Amino acid sequence: MKGICGELLDIDLTSGKTKEIGISEETARKYLGGRGLGARLLYDLLPAKTDPLSPYNILIFLTGPFTGSMAPGSSKFVVVTKSPLTQGWCDSYSSGRISLEIKKAGYDGLVIRGRSNHPCYLQIGDKGVEIREADRIWGKDSFEAERTLKGLEGNASAGVSSIGPAGENLCSYACINSDFYRQAARGGVGTVMGYKRLKAIVAKGSKNCEFHDHKKVVELNRANYERAKVSQVFQARSKYGTPLTLNFTHTGGILPTKNFQFGTWEKALGKIDSVGVYKSVKSHRSCQSCFVHCSLITEAAEGKYKGTTLEGPEYETLGMFGSNLLIDSLPTVIQANVLCDKLGLDTISAGNVIGFAMECFEKGLLTAGQLDGLELNFGDDEACLAAIEMIAHRRGFGDILARGVREAASQIGGGSDRFAMQVKGLEFPAYDPRGAFGSGLSYAVSPRGACHRRAWPPAKEILGGVPPYTIEGKGEMIRDLYADNCIFHSLLVCDMPAKFIPLALDDYANYFEAVTGEAISQKDFQTMAGRTETLIRMFNNREGFTREDDTLPYRTLWEPLPDGPGKGQFIGEENLQRMIDDFYSCQGWDAAGIPTEATLQKYDLKKNE
Amino acid sequence: MKVIVNLFGVEVRLKQEIFVEPASPALKDVLKGLKDQGVEQLERFIDDHLSPVGGSVILVNGRNFLSLDGWETRVHEGAELTFMVPVAGG
Repeated sequence: MKGICGELLDIDLTSGKTKEIGISEETARKYLGGRGLGARLLYDLLPAKTDPLSPYNILIFLTGPFTGSMAPGSSKFVVVTKSPLTQGWCDSYSSGRISLEIKKAGYDGLVIRGRSNHPCYLQIGDKGVEIREADRIWGKDSFEAERTLKGLEGNASAGVSSIGPAGENLCSYACINSDFYRQAARGGVGTVMGYKRLKAIVAKGSKNCEFHDHKKVVELNRANYERAKVSQVFQARSKYGTPLTLNFTHTGGILPTKNFQFGTWEKALGKIDSVGVYKSVKSHRSCQSCFVHCSLITEAAEGKYKGTTLEGPEYETLGMFGSNLLIDSLPTVIQANVLCDKLGLDTISAGNVIGFAMECFEKGLLTAGQLDGLELNFGDDEACLAAIEMIAHRRGFGDILARGVREAASQIGGGSDRFAMQVKGLEFPAYDPRGAFGSGLSYAVSPRGACHRRAWPPAKEILGGVPPYTIEGKGEMIRDLYADNCIFHSLLVCDMPAKFIPLALDDYANYFEAVTGEAISQKDFQTMAGRTETLIRMFNNREGFTREDDTLPYRTLWEPLPDGPGKGQFIGEENLQRMIDDFYSCQGWDAAGIPTEATLQKYDLKKNE
Repeated sequence: MKVIVNLFGVEVRLKQEIFVEPASPALKDVLKGLKDQGVEQLERFIDDHLSPVGGSVILVNGRNFLSLDGWETRVHEGAELTFMVPVAGG
């Protein structure tokens, strides 16, 4: 099968030994790559109940069959591990040069085990890997580390992924930074890297990836570009990027505002939405292998942070650092974004945790005395930025906030868990499920915790006209959305081109045949997705997760939305349980969330394998 | 009647106050009124037969008209009508 190298590089940082692990063609066909292959590998290679912050945890970097092929959106990679934030399954995605360079070095990915006894980085090339000392860059921020490593290697086109001080300090939601502004951010993948004392990975290969029919890929790209050019969706996305989503979530009443107390925020309009961000755009860029130039290069135009530049901010950051904290200053959001990128923090979790701390401060559950004198008020730009520094360096109360919102609520007490907006320990992203009940189900059953990357239900419940405040049919809807994203994330393509060119599964089947030389049907894709989601469920079940973990915070279940089109709505426990029953049934799992014998057989999986 | 119109597409226009005199408060008649007024850029979302262009979405006070009463959805004084291409995602 073309499109895959058939080899993973296995690196043990404790012993310094490396070896190659083969990927059989059967495994590649059954799991494709990315999330699918990651599920198979993590289940097989990680001993049950492993402490995520122990040398026995593994960190897997994976490419996909399309990596290097020039198929749209194919510059992604995924990092798979057991999360220190949730103690369960974690897959975190990013774009980056490193995916292409790992493949050009002849590998489909990396399996990193053990723990180095001193700071190190990996240099990967055509001849394998060297483990090198990283004393010169340990303690540096991600941008400086990347610049230094590119200089050291004498090649600006090398792919570099690194962690910042937050990862070194084992902040539970540390990210892995690539190409300066791209992050595998969720679930603490950078924390695991920091525990392993692995500062960075540098990759530069020169081998040609083998694809079945490269001319056919070019031909498909030409045809799809012609479709894209006349698509208003493509044009709008290319112009405004993800900030346009803020206008939509505000209008639909699902914009996180003041730690998810409200669902709309008028003050955001013209300031931190598409209109506000567009005024600060200096240029646009696209990822390698993609003709959707949806990434914005912005520059803070005024105030204390004037001149700060960023590739971004994306919608999630505008939501979590903007409306969620009642900050309507775009320069502050840009500054917060750059600070998180440099220090190596997930902007979603960081914005969520700071919003939670602000609400605790407002309610008197946290005092300035506990915060080293910091008056952590909603809307206070300076306090927000100071909190980011405290968290990344684990200074003072930042040490508690660095453990994530669930743990912080448990330390603070006073009923603060009722507004700690998380599932399984992963902080909510920037959508309030009370305004789109399918999002509530999606967050609750997601194996990595509250996640907007398993499914994006507002596409159905607001854009698609499915009633947003009902539960009927939501299990099936979420099952189908999970399957679509599982297919994209296993092929390892960005889900954006699918929506904005737009591309259907048949289009991806055409690319798959051109890349691998093998035909694939929609049914094959769906079977792969069902198998993968079931295997991930089995992984979490093995780690001790049960149906009780598939839940939502009190605020989402019981506090009525006070504003917007969903005013008065809350999900309620009974509604959630009925949606979960429906979802489990659609997935072929029993009422406890355990895959049935028939489902295991259907997907060729074995119990307790 | 006054309605507030948002356009989220290749151009974004926020909170435009438009006065229309529809034959009835039904969405279809309000749209016809807006079309007759020649609201700029509206043709990118709604064609002359009042059909959404390229999968465009119509929200009435933040709710998709398809999840309300469709073309018969009643539009009240001061209602917010949003026309958008189906572009979103974080």
